[in-house]
Amino acid sequence: MTAPAVTAPARPKPHVTLRGQEIPVVLPSRRDPRFKLSSVVITLHVLGQTLLDWKVSIAQILITMLLCGVIEFVVTFRGQRIIAWPASGILTGSSVALILRASGTRHGDWWSLRGIQWFILAGLISLLAKHLIRPTGKHLFNPSNIGIVWCLLVIGPNHVFAQYLWWGPSHVGQALAYAVIIGGAMWILRAVRMIPMAVSFLVTFAVLTGIFALAGHSFIAIWHVGDIRGLEYWANLAFSPEVLVFVFFMISDPQTAPKPPLGRVIYGAATATVAAALIYFQTTEFGIKVAILSSLTVVCAVVPFIEAWCRRRQAAASGDRQPTAPATPKSILAALRRPAVIAALIVAVAAPIDTMALANNKQVVLIERGEVGKANAQ
Amino acid sequence: MADISLPNPPAPGLFHRAASGLGLLVLLASALFGGNVAGMRERFLGSETPEERPAAVSRGTEVAAPPGETSPATEAPKQSVLRSQPWWQSVGKIQGTGSMTAPAFSVNADAVQWRVRWTCQTGQLVVRAPEQRRPVVDAACPGTDTGYGIQKGNVSLQVTADGPWEMQVDQQVDVPLFEPPLPAMTAPGARPVMTGSLYRIDQVGTGTVTVYRLADGSHAVRLDDFFVTANTDLELQFSPLEAPRSTKQVTDNPRSPSIATLDVTTGSLNFPVPSHVDPTQYRSFVIWCEVANSAYSAATLRPA
Repeated sequence: MTAPAVTAPARPKPHVTLRGQEIPVVLPSRRDPRFKLSSVVITLHVLGQTLLDWKVSIAQILITMLLCGVIEFVVTFRGQRIIAWPASGILTGSSVALILRASGTRHGDWWSLRGIQWFILAGLISLLAKHLIRPTGKHLFNPSNIGIVWCLLVIGPNHVFAQYLWWGPSHVGQALAYAVIIGGAMWILRAVRMIPMAVSFLVTFAVLTGIFALAGHSFIAIWHVGDIRGLEYWANLAFSPEVLVFVFFMISDPQTAPKPPLGRVIYGAATATVAAALIYFQTTEFGIKVAILSSLTVVCAVVPFIEAWCRRRQAAASGDRQPTAPATPKSILAALRRPAVIAALIVAVAAPIDTMALANNKQVVLIERGEVGKANAQ
Repeated sequence: MADISLPNPPAPGLFHRAASGLGLLVLLASALFGGNVAGMRERFLGSETPEERPAAVSRGTEVAAPPGETSPATEAPKQSVLRSQPWWQSVGKIQGTGSMTAPAFSVNADAVQWRVRWTCQTGQLVVRAPEQRRPVVDAACPGTDTGYGIQKGNVSLQVTADGPWEMQVDQQVDVPLFEPPLPAMTAPGARPVMTGSLYRIDQVGTGTVTVYRLADGSHAVRLDDFFVTANTDLELQFSPLEAPRSTKQVTDNPRSPSIATLDVTTGSLNFPVPSHVDPTQYRSFVIWCEVANSAYSAATLRPA
């Protein structure tokens, strides 16, 4: 969940002098689209702490935001010699804390540091991936997405989980959350021209999960009595506030989504299709949430291909020649020797395979059924 | 890789190449770890899932089969990762007169502990277990009481006594118990009359409940593939409510007397219903904790 694109000011006016060197200062701006996204995310955090009984502490949220902010600040300063308000880093941190949960944290333990190491790890992985896996010169994966997926898969269901698909128990809280999510989506997505992408995801996802529901698929969740199937299965997936947050505020990141409008529609539909394909194997809420999040990791890896296809199609339609030379076996081999390409490949292959492995994990089933001996591991 | 332009960075130095290689190795390792290959993740980071163990198939390790039936103890037990509230499983009875080395009894390797419920007639009874400094029993006779030990495997007790003595040996285990249905449940004239699925109220409860009317007109309850959050002092009761959803709903309405105390909290179990309780007068089944005043779980009963 990083950020809509921001246009850096051509010549930042404020500056500080450090050891005789003038260093530009970029302060936060209300016109920055990241400001809008941060407002929505923070509002959801407030609802989570007050009405929605989220099992995340204020300390976990603040530390994750602070860590990501500091890392982003240092990286920007070292790379660009500017002092910039680390809006992206803070947003990454708040997004990680919006979705990630440490097992055993109780709602209302405002200053609990339980599982803080997992939040720190997720934040670190997010920013490492952002700054190191750049096969095309810019980051390929959505930072908070890859951090959360890594944490859920590598640390595992014993220690971490993602926010529930169902946001209860307060009906007022749920209504307010939907209002904030949908209002926030209209506010942000229109500005970054992501509404067609969101619609293509939601329609594809609703159709595919509807087919699964009709075919008798079900899942178990710690917060629900018995299997969730039929209409309830479909509604809990297609209209889950968690899924809406994922669509509106995570996959809509213009930095990692394709640039061409058609590419964005394909990207939305492809993410929904991969999510549904991974969900197909899952029988637990944990597995389903990881499947949804992993779908973005997979599709982000193919965004350069979607963009290239769109460019070729556009060139063919306008009668132009290919914008770049077609790939040869030699150029492909050369690309495959680059560490960033290898890393992207490992991530793109491991995320869905590891997600599918959750389908056979007895531990997840026991946790979701509440049969681990503790009252509620999540 | 068609027409994707990749930037052409300068050739990396040795340090960068080494760091990249190390980073890729770490990434690959985390990918394998994330897939829990060979149980790697759960081995390193711990697991909520206990090791699979063979479940018990009877309340005693020495149960004899009813005439004409296969002994349940000889059937291959189910493997289960579920754990029950620790319960006492009978191991056997040993008896003798005077001092002797008692016949050895076998305690499971995963048993929590064992106990002897002893009686003696005259003089003094002292019972010692191997590698246990304090005697298991050191008492004047006549008397009756219980002594405990924690040895596993074949345990041979050294008895010093002046007269006849008897010891019932039990081991405490926490594995599920999968009892076969009572013979009376499958006998001619017996039939299931009500059934339902357990759901959680204050704690987790899963499995099915079946109420049988037996040939002699009495009733018995069978819990199948059952699990309830482990605790002591859980009781089985019937409620007139169709589907109680809270402890308050349960306590606000009259309930049946306790049918049985639940010593085993997971598996498949049978309970005869006391003659003064008529299950057909009730509409649901409740697992109740008297000490905590809490309805753990319930099942709506419908005609079978």
